[in-house]
Amino acid sequence: MIDLGHRWRIWVIASIAITALSGLGVRLAFLHFGSSHDALRTRILKSRHSEEEILVGRGRILDRNGNILALDLPVKDIFADPKVIIDKGHLQFVVSHLARLLNLNGKILFDRLNRPGKRFVYVKRFVKNDLADEIARLQLTGIHFEDHTARHYPQGALMCHAIGFSNWEGVGSAGIEQKMNRYLKGRSGLRVSERDGRRRELYSRRTLEIKGQTGSDIYLTLDQNIQFMVEEALDRAMETHQPKGAWAIVQRVRTGEILAMVSRPCYDLNGFRNTSAEVRRNRSISYVYEPGSTFKAIVIASALNEGVARSDQLIDCEHGRWIYQRRPLRDFHPYGSLSVADVLKKSSNIGAAKIALSLGKRRLENYIRAFGFGKPNRLNLPGEEAGIFHRYSSWSAISSTRIAMGHEIAVTALQMLNAVCAIANDGFLMRPIVIEKVVDVHGRTVFDPDPEVIARPIRRDTAKEMRYLMHRITERGGTGTRACIDGYDVAGKTGTAQKPVPGGYSDTANIASFVGFAPVENPEIGIIVVVDEPQPLHTGGRVSAPVFKEIAEEVLRYLDVPPGEVKPYLQFVNYENRNTDQKNRAY
Amino acid sequence: MMWKARSILVGIVLILITLGIVMLASTSAVQGQIRYDDPHYFLKHQLIWLALATLASVVVSRIDYSILRKLAVPLLIFSFVLLVLVLIPGVGHKVKGSSRWLKLGPLNFQPSELAKITTLIWLAGWMSHIRRKAQDFKKGLLIPLAGLGVTLILIFVEPDFGTTMLIAVVGMAIMFIGGTQIGYLFISALLGSICFIAAILESPERLRRIIAFLNPEKYAQNEAFQLLNAIKAFVIGGSKGVGLGQSMQKRFYLPEAHTDFIFAIIGEELGPIASMIVVALFLGFFICGLYISTHTSDLFARLLGMGITMIITFQAAINIGVVTGSLPTKGLALPFISFGGSSLVMTMVMVGILINISMRETQTLGNKKL
Repeated sequence: MIDLGHRWRIWVIASIAITALSGLGVRLAFLHFGSSHDALRTRILKSRHSEEEILVGRGRILDRNGNILALDLPVKDIFADPKVIIDKGHLQFVVSHLARLLNLNGKILFDRLNRPGKRFVYVKRFVKNDLADEIARLQLTGIHFEDHTARHYPQGALMCHAIGFSNWEGVGSAGIEQKMNRYLKGRSGLRVSERDGRRRELYSRRTLEIKGQTGSDIYLTLDQNIQFMVEEALDRAMETHQPKGAWAIVQRVRTGEILAMVSRPCYDLNGFRNTSAEVRRNRSISYVYEPGSTFKAIVIASALNEGVARSDQLIDCEHGRWIYQRRPLRDFHPYGSLSVADVLKKSSNIGAAKIALSLGKRRLENYIRAFGFGKPNRLNLPGEEAGIFHRYSSWSAISSTRIAMGHEIAVTALQMLNAVCAIANDGFLMRPIVIEKVVDVHGRTVFDPDPEVIARPIRRDTAKEMRYLMHRITERGGTGTRACIDGYDVAGKTGTAQKPVPGGYSDTANIASFVGFAPVENPEIGIIVVVDEPQPLHTGGRVSAPVFKEIAEEVLRYLDVPPGEVKPYLQFVNYENRNTDQKNRAY
Repeated sequence: MMWKARSILVGIVLILITLGIVMLASTSAVQGQIRYDDPHYFLKHQLIWLALATLASVVVSRIDYSILRKLAVPLLIFSFVLLVLVLIPGVGHKVKGSSRWLKLGPLNFQPSELAKITTLIWLAGWMSHIRRKAQDFKKGLLIPLAGLGVTLILIFVEPDFGTTMLIAVVGMAIMFIGGTQIGYLFISALLGSICFIAAILESPERLRRIIAFLNPEKYAQNEAFQLLNAIKAFVIGGSKGVGLGQSMQKRFYLPEAHTDFIFAIIGEELGPIASMIVVALFLGFFICGLYISTHTSDLFARLLGMGITMIITFQAAINIGVVTGSLPTKGLALPFISFGGSSLVMTMVMVGILINISMRETQTLGNKKL
């Protein structure tokens, strides 16, 4: 029955099948146990491994009253998958809609998306949520969104130089944003996990997750309202005098807090990408200039403090031309003899030079350094300059006479103001501060700088006397009469410095400044106004003193400073001019 | 001895099916979640099919296989009709460019799976019918080759290259066992190979698959993506396996992780013990099938039994060969384990026939002894 004729054929097939299956077994053993696979295994595991930074929001920046100046806003990045769009033939359609809604150039966008091999192209980053939602509703092929936060500055250009900005990656790149980045950025979290074949992170494979902490809020000492007043005043000055630039600072005399810090030209922080470094420059702390006559206040305060001069002591002003060390020194208006008080009031170069000489090089340098010149103030703002002030050992024979009138020394507006504030503050030189406090996300104050005395260049009585001497400058016959305001007594000093040019000083370009404080009896605020190259050429008394007046008037009322009258302190001294010059203008 | 072989065979099938369900639960959850929002989608479907398959298998094992001999021609024609229907657009259900499925209500059915068994039955019937005339050119070669050829062409144009190859090889093996002259078979195998090479050259996709197979690193992101990731699965599995359900390759690194490439995930999750046991089980299945077939007195039963044994074992071997990177990629499922309803049902029907053959033999032998 059973046909055995072909049995061998079955065995042929059976042996082939058994051999094949055994071969597969060997292959499997090789795959599982292969000794050369360790490197491959490591590579595979590494390619799946995912270490992700969990980004946190940046802290806010607020003014001293809690007005928000900088914050993170939720936005969306829009990106495209050109391959999908082109495969479906929707390119033209998608581009036309996007270009219209996002206000982009259609041709450029078309070229950017017309790359069939690409899987990822940014269409536009940082698109506001409502606009992104509108686009999302169109359900365009191959258009995707990613949540993001973007830095927003609700006040636009206000306080732009102080606040600064953070770049696309969320790193502070200017101003407070840069200097306080450490606090603002928070602590990003970390997530260690694995990714699947679609490169998505797998929840079930997380091995480590560290939560991040949102950045801390920075409260500035600056006051948004005062800042606004100062900016308005400077903008008007920019309009009137068409200068290259202008800057001003308002400081609280007793504490050193900066209440306003303005620099012109300025820019909108939300559009920082389209600005030049020149516009972004915070001139009030980074522009180094020769202070000119404003510096006379420092020199005379030093001489009075040291006792080498008295305010009623008469100085021979050589009728406007004095040859010292074979070099001529001129006054803008010639005077015969002036009291020390009037040297300041009339801003006599010759008088100031002689006072400086009586002090001597070494003491002069010590005083100037004690007033904080020649070194930066360690302000919490980037780009602060130290100014230029050489050691007396390298001075020439006439250096003292030139420093007395604010040349051969270069300062920043902040240094100048701070030194004058020291005069207003009974001789205590305060450290200028811009940060009131730093509050972390849990409401804890993590940084709270106290007012700090960094030097005491002059005594209380010298300071008091200087206050009155500087007040006289705003009185009839002084250089700063335009700084006067109703209801308050102010003190200050004008300065008009020719700008240095190769080979000497320019006759056509100057820096006009005014630095002062108010009220005289009980100084509350110090203000400096600097105008760079006013057109037409004008003095600090003409250009900057009126700006000072505008600012001081508004700020004093805003701060509710009680008006006070000058006590008749110096009435016994006869300050009346012996060489009366009726003109108010002076060098 | 026959009952022993039969019990072992049934045991092997049960183990393989159990493993298949467990691994399907593990591998298909990711795809199910993504595609149907239900991680158990594939598992549920497969369990329904399994119930059907078990029922079919039991029923078939109770029906005398000799009926199949009489039904061979109608069955073959029936499968031809279905294979033609599949090609008609609108009737056939197209997936990834291949018309392989017929939609029967909620269930999809692959006529090529049916064609496997009907072709085997008809070939076994014909070869046992001509017996010693198998040496004859016309009866031993032309007629069986013609019947086989129609099936092959119909499946080839679906296209389903893997199944075509499988049926061709097993069909010719049945003719070989049935007594067709080796010379004839050799020449037709040669002609078949030429057609095979022509088919590869004609289709750029198949050609790329071959090239990618020979040079996988270069095509790592395209044609060789599956291949390389299947190999990676075994490598990661290492000597212990990463543990049931812990596979990473199934998470979109290895497409078709629950169908054609499920064996790679077995290797990754359960390690070499499981993957080698699977190979050993198929080897065991082959030996049992071989034993049953060679110990039957009926030539038809022997050819049919051998055909069934071969078609299941060869399919498993080709699948494992592909997954382990030993063969170029083809679309063949791993019998008993891969997801796929009609494949499971038809495989189980074939197992039922095999069991029936073994039972008839026991009965006749028993009768003789009595």
